[in-house]
Amino acid sequence: MLHNFKYTLKTLFKNKTLIFWTFAFPIILGTFFYMAFSNIEKSEQLDVIDIAIVDNEQFQNSEALKQTFLILGDESNKEQMFSIQYVLLDEAVKLLEDDKISGYLLIEDTPKIVVSSSGINETIFKYVTEKIIQVEDILSLAIKEKSEQFQEEISKNPNTSFDIDTWKKEIYQEVLTMVNNANANIIDISNHNLSYTMIEFYTLIAMTCLYGGILGMVAVNQNLANMSNNGKRVAISPTSKGKIILSSVLSSYFVQLIGVFLLFLYTIFVLKVDYGTNFPLIILLTLIGSLAGLTLGVCIAVVFQVNENLKTGMMLAITMFGCFLSGMMGITMKYIVDSNIPLLNKINPASMITDGFYSLYYYGSNLKRFYFNVSSLLIFSLVMIVISMISLRRQKYDSI
Amino acid sequence: MKSVIQVENLTKKYKNKKAVDDLSFEVYEGEILGLLGPNGSGKSTTINCILSLLNFDEGIIKVLGCEMSPNAYEIKRQIGVVFQDVAVFDELNVYDNIDYFCGLYIKDKLKRKKCIMDAIHLVGLEEFTKYYPKQLSGGLLRRLNIACGIAHQPKIIILDEPTVAVDPQSRNNILDGIQKLRKKGATIIYTTHYMEEVEILCDRVIILDKGKILAVGTTDELKELVNIEEKVTVEIMDLKKDILNEIKNFPHVDSLTYQNPILSITYKKGANNLVNLMDYLKKESIPYTKIYSERPTLNDVFLELTGKDLRD
Repeated sequence: MLHNFKYTLKTLFKNKTLIFWTFAFPIILGTFFYMAFSNIEKSEQLDVIDIAIVDNEQFQNSEALKQTFLILGDESNKEQMFSIQYVLLDEAVKLLEDDKISGYLLIEDTPKIVVSSSGINETIFKYVTEKIIQVEDILSLAIKEKSEQFQEEISKNPNTSFDIDTWKKEIYQEVLTMVNNANANIIDISNHNLSYTMIEFYTLIAMTCLYGGILGMVAVNQNLANMSNNGKRVAISPTSKGKIILSSVLSSYFVQLIGVFLLFLYTIFVLKVDYGTNFPLIILLTLIGSLAGLTLGVCIAVVFQVNENLKTGMMLAITMFGCFLSGMMGITMKYIVDSNIPLLNKINPASMITDGFYSLYYYGSNLKRFYFNVSSLLIFSLVMIVISMISLRRQKYDSI
Repeated sequence: MKSVIQVENLTKKYKNKKAVDDLSFEVYEGEILGLLGPNGSGKSTTINCILSLLNFDEGIIKVLGCEMSPNAYEIKRQIGVVFQDVAVFDELNVYDNIDYFCGLYIKDKLKRKKCIMDAIHLVGLEEFTKYYPKQLSGGLLRRLNIACGIAHQPKIIILDEPTVAVDPQSRNNILDGIQKLRKKGATIIYTTHYMEEVEILCDRVIILDKGKILAVGTTDELKELVNIEEKVTVEIMDLKKDILNEIKNFPHVDSLTYQNPILSITYKKGANNLVNLMDYLKKESIPYTKIYSERPTLNDVFLELTGKDLRD
C-alpha cells in the first residue's frame, strides 16, 4: 500500500494540469475575487436602500413593524439600512415604476412586499422585511399564548399574584426559543457585518474542496482495467484491488488537503481574509468538505463507463454548478435557492461547505447549523462511498 | 511436456457476436507459442480471458494447474504481460515506471532493484533510466513497456503484439530479448499478425481467424498444409509468350505470373525445380539478373486456409 501511495503521490504532483486546477487555479481565482469584490464591498457598505411603506391604517396599528422600520431607517444611525418614504399606495406604485425605490411594503390582511426586479437591494429588502414580519408574528404568538396561560391560571386560582417582571422574562424566553426554532437569521442580514467577499471566499474553498474529486478520479482511473492501460497492468498484478484503490484515494486526499490549506494560507496571510477564530472547526469542515469532493470524484470515476475527459467534465460541471447555486457568481443566488428550492442546497455539497463556514462565522456561539452541515457532508460522503464500493465489487469486465 | 496453460472450449461473445468461438489449446512449459491472426481475430480477447480481465460465456481456463480467477494471486505472481498498447506513467521516469509495476509483485527492495536492472539490460535501456516516456522514441517506449511487464521475472510471459509500429532496430532488439527470456526458462505466448516474427521465434503456432482456430502446429507442420513446395522469382527482361508457356508446362509448376521484369513461379511438391529452371534459361540463352527460391510462408498458409491475406 505504501508503495502505491508513494507512486500515486509522485504521479499526481508531476501532473501539471492537475496541479494547476487544484493548487494554482483557486489561488488565482481568489486573487481576482479579492480585487473585484473588495471594491464592491466598499461601495455597498455606503449604500442605503430606497424603499417605501404604504402608510395605511394597518401599518399604523402594527407597532412592532413601525418601530423596527423607524430604527432601520434612522438617518442618524451609522448602520442605517433603508431610506424610507411613508406614502399612499398609488405613490408607492409610481415610485417603483419610476425606479426611485427598490420596493415597497403594503400591510393588508397579509403583508405584501413588492419589488420590480431581482437585484441585491431588492433581495435584501425582501429578505429583511420577511424576517421582521416573521419575528413580529412569533412575538404576537408568544404574547397570545402567554396571556392565555395567564388567563387560565387566574380562572383556576383567582388569588394568583401578577408579577410583571416574571411575565416579561417568560415572554422574552419564549420568543428567544421560537426565534431560534424558526432559524430566524435577521441579525446577520440586517447588520452590515454581512460581507459579499466572505461568501465568495467560502464558495471558493468549497470549490477547491470539490475540485479534489478530480484527483481522486484520476487516481482511481489509473487502477481500473476498463479505464486505462495502466489499470490493466494493475488488475493483473497479485495485489488486492481494494488496497490499491484505497491507497490511491488516500494519496489523492493528501494532495487535495495540501491544495486547500495552501489556499487558506494565501487568503489569510496575503489577502488578509478573516475566517474567524474557531480554527479546529474550520479544519474539521475543510477535512470533511474535501472528503465529500473526493468521494464524489471517486463515485463518478467508477460508476460512469465513459472516457476520462468526459468524467472530468462532469466533475467540473457539478462543482461549478454547485458553487453557482451556493453564491459564487452572485450572493443573491444562495438566497433565491434557500427561499425557493431549499432541498437543492441541502443536497449540494458546495452549499453545505459554504453554509458551514457561513454559520461558523456568523453564529459562532450557536453551532447547531454548523454541525447540521458537517453531518450532511458526512452523509453525502458515505452515500458516495457505498455507491462506489458496489460498483467496484465487479472483478471482471464484459469488455475493456 | 508439462502444460502450463490449458484453455478448453472458450467462448466469448460481445452482444451476439462471437469474438472467440469454442477455442481449445494448451501451452507447454518452456515453449514460445505464437497466436497468429489478422486484426479482430480474437487474439487479444483470448489473452484478456486468460488473465481474468474479461468475463467469458463458456469454457475453462487453467494456469499452472489451477483455475484462473481475479483473486488467484499466486498464479498472477507467475505471469507477466506486455499489452498491445503502451501502459506506462508519463509522470514517472523509466526507472520509476519499472519500479512501480515491479513493486506490485516484489516487496523486497533489494531483490526488486536487481530485477529492475536485469530488465533494463534485457531491453537495452541502460542509457535512458532517467528519461521520461515523452522523451523516448516509439521503439524505446515499446522496450520500456516490455521491461515493465517482465521485470518481476515471471515464469509465463504474454506478449500482445509488442512490436507494432516499431522501427527495425528496436524490433530486432525486442526479438533478441524474447529469445533471451526463453533461454532463461520462461514460457511465452506471443500474439502478432507479423508472420516473419512467428517464424523466427515460435516453437508452435496457432492460426486464428474470426475467433476460431484454423490450424495448430510448428511452422513446418503448418507449411505442410499448403500445396506449395516453393516459390521461385526471376528478374528477366521482355520474356516472350512462348517461353512463358513452355515454363508453365515444366514439372510441378502450379502457377506463373510475369510482370516485366519479375517472373514468379509457384511449384507444387517436387525436387530440383530451381535447377531445372536455371538449366532451361541457360540452354535458351535467356539472360537474367537475379534468381531466388523461397519456401512458402505462413501467409501462404493463411491464404490457403481462408482465401485472404493475413494483413487484409
